[in-house]
Amino acid sequence: MSDPRPADYATAAAATLRDTPEVRTAITAATRTFDAHRRAAYAQVAAEEWRTWMEGVKNHLLTHLADYLEQAEEQLTRNGVHVHWAGTGDEALAALGDVVDAHGVGGVVKAKSMLTEELGVNAFLEQRGVRVRETDLGEYIIQLLGEPPSHIVGPAIHRSLEDCQALFHRELGTSPDATPDELAGAARDALRSDFLSADLGISGGNFLVAESGTVALIENEGNIRLSTSVPPVHVAFVGIEKLLPRFEDLSGFLQLTSRAATGQAIGTYVSLIQGPRRADESDGPTEVHVILVDNGRSSLLADDTAWEALRCVRCGACLNVCPVYRQTGGHAYGWAYSGPIGAILAPGLLGLENAMPLPHASSLCGACEDVCPVRIPFTDILLHWRHQAVERGLASTTEGLAMRAFAGLTERPRLYGAAARALRHLPIEVGGSALPVLRNWTAERELPKPSVRRFAQLWKDGIA
Amino acid sequence: MSAREEILTRVRKALADREAHAHPGDFGSWQAEPSGSIVPAFMEAFTSTGGEVVRVADEAQAGAWLREFSADFSGTAIGDGVPMALRPPLAAAPPAAADLGVSMATSGVAETGSLVLGARDGRRTQLLPPTHVVFLHTSDTVATLKEALNAMKGTLPSAIGLHSGPSKSADIGQVLVRGVHGPGRVIAVLIGADQ
Repeated sequence: MSDPRPADYATAAAATLRDTPEVRTAITAATRTFDAHRRAAYAQVAAEEWRTWMEGVKNHLLTHLADYLEQAEEQLTRNGVHVHWAGTGDEALAALGDVVDAHGVGGVVKAKSMLTEELGVNAFLEQRGVRVRETDLGEYIIQLLGEPPSHIVGPAIHRSLEDCQALFHRELGTSPDATPDELAGAARDALRSDFLSADLGISGGNFLVAESGTVALIENEGNIRLSTSVPPVHVAFVGIEKLLPRFEDLSGFLQLTSRAATGQAIGTYVSLIQGPRRADESDGPTEVHVILVDNGRSSLLADDTAWEALRCVRCGACLNVCPVYRQTGGHAYGWAYSGPIGAILAPGLLGLENAMPLPHASSLCGACEDVCPVRIPFTDILLHWRHQAVERGLASTTEGLAMRAFAGLTERPRLYGAAARALRHLPIEVGGSALPVLRNWTAERELPKPSVRRFAQLWKDGIA
Repeated sequence: MSAREEILTRVRKALADREAHAHPGDFGSWQAEPSGSIVPAFMEAFTSTGGEVVRVADEAQAGAWLREFSADFSGTAIGDGVPMALRPPLAAAPPAAADLGVSMATSGVAETGSLVLGARDGRRTQLLPPTHVVFLHTSDTVATLKEALNAMKGTLPSAIGLHSGPSKSADIGQVLVRGVHGPGRVIAVLIGADQ
C-alpha cells in the first residue's frame, strides 16, 4: 500500500471488533482450517529437518546477497530478460511506468503479489488510466470491494459466502443465492476475456534462482500461469531477499512453502519462468522484465537482530496461529503485511517511527516461531524493536514508567516485599479503579485475588 | 550512482561484519532414498489432488482410449509435442475455444503428484480448455522433485509448469471449487508398465 497506517492499529482493531464482529468469526475459522492443514502436512514429512535446511539456505543466500544479485542479473540477462533495479518504491513504479509507456499498455492482468500491494502498483496504474484486473479469485473479490487484502495467502478470508453472493449479484448479475461453483464460474467468464485482451501481465515472484535466472511462482487457480503466459509482456516484481542460490534448491522451497501455506504437498500450479518465448515455442510473452526491489530491505539486512526476518517466504503460517491476528484479521495493521510477520517487517521496511505500535501487537506467545518454515525468531525480533522503541522514546510513557518502577522494586528486596504486602491488602473489588494502569485489563476480566501469604513463605512451607 | 550500484553498496555494507553462512547442501540429504515403485506413488499423489489417472500399456492403447474419450468433446487444442498417433479425431480449435486440451508431459514427479509441462508444448493448451488430457510415459516418472529439476537443468525452456491436479480455489467463503481459471478436470494418461 502506498499509504501505510500502522499508527491507527489500536483504534482500527477496536473498530473491527466492535463494528464487524463477523470478521473475527470468519478469520478465526479460516485460520484454524489453514493451520490444521499445515499441521497435517508437516506431520507427513521430516518437517523439522526441512525447516532447518530452509533456514540454512536463506542464511547462506542473505549473507552472500550482493554476489547472488549480480549472478541473478547476469543469468536473467543471458536468458533475454530485462532487469531493472529499484532502490525505492518510487523507482520500482517508475520502471513499470517505462514498460507501460513503451508498449502503450491499456489493460493489465495481475497475479496476486504482496510486493505489488506494498508498492501500491494498482493505484499507480489507475492514475495513468491503465485498467488493472486482479485475477486471483480472492484478490478479485477485494478489488471489487475496494479493500486491501487481510491475509497474505487468503486475501478475502474475512468475507463470507453471503458477502460474495451479494457482491457478485451486484457486479456480475449472478443470482443472489448462487453456489460457490456458480460464483467462481461467473468470475472465470468475466476474467477470461481480460486475460485474452491484456497488453501486460504483472506478477510477483516467490523465488528467483540466481543460478538459472528462474522466477518461481506458486498458486492454485491457474491465474498466475495465465497472467505470465498469455499477454505479450510480463513484468515480475521481486524483492531482493527472494533469491535462491541454486535451481535444485527449489525442490525444498516449493514443497515446504506449500505445506506451510495451505497444507498441500505442492501448490496446484508452479510456474518456473526463465525468460521470453523462444523461436521453437508457439506461445508465451515476447518480453519479460524483472524489477528487483530493495525498498528498505537492505537497511533491514543491516540490523544485527532483525535481518533474519528477510528469510520470510510469505506463507502466512504465522498469521494462522497468531491469537492476536485471529481477532481482527489483517486490515487493522494498516499495511500490506499483517500478523507476526507484519509486526517484525514494518519497523525494518517503514522505519520504526512509522511502524509503531505493531511490535506491541503480539502477546509474545511464540506460536509463530513453532510453525515458521524458515525458523524466524519472531519473539527476539519483536523484543528488539520494543527495546529500540523505548530507547528512541517511541514507546508509550505509561509503559516506560511502569517498567522502570517495576525494575526499581525488583532490585530492592525489602521495598519489593512492602509493595507486595500493600497489594495483598488492596480491597480487590476496587483494584481496577485504584490502579488506573490496569483499567483496560479489568474492564474485560476479573482481577485475580492475591494469595494471603507471601510467595517466599509458601516456598518455605513447601507448598509451592 | 545508479540504483544498481546503490543497492549493491548498501547490501555489501550491511553484511560487512556479518558472519557468512555456508550452504547446507542438498535438500533431503538427511533422509533415505525413497523406496518402492514410483508409478503407484505418482498415481496416489496425483489423485489425492483431484487429478484422474488412466493406465495404458502402450501408445496404441493410449490412442484408442483418447478416441473413445474425446467423443464427448467438440474441439481440441493439441500440444506441439503430442505424437500423431495420440491426436484425437476432433476438429482442431484454438486453445481459447477448445473444450479439450491434449499435452505431452516431459516428466512426472511421484513425491508431489506433479506433471511437468514445458513451454515448447504450448502453454495455452495446458491452461485454457476446461478439460486437460496429459500423456506421460511411465519411464519419465521420477521419485522426487529434486530429480526432476536436476534432469531439466541445462535444457530449460522459457517456462515450465508443474501441474498437480485441477485448478482450485477456496477464496469464496472457504468452500473448495474446481476449474477456476485453469482446467477443472485433468487426466494423466500413463503409458507403459510400472517402473
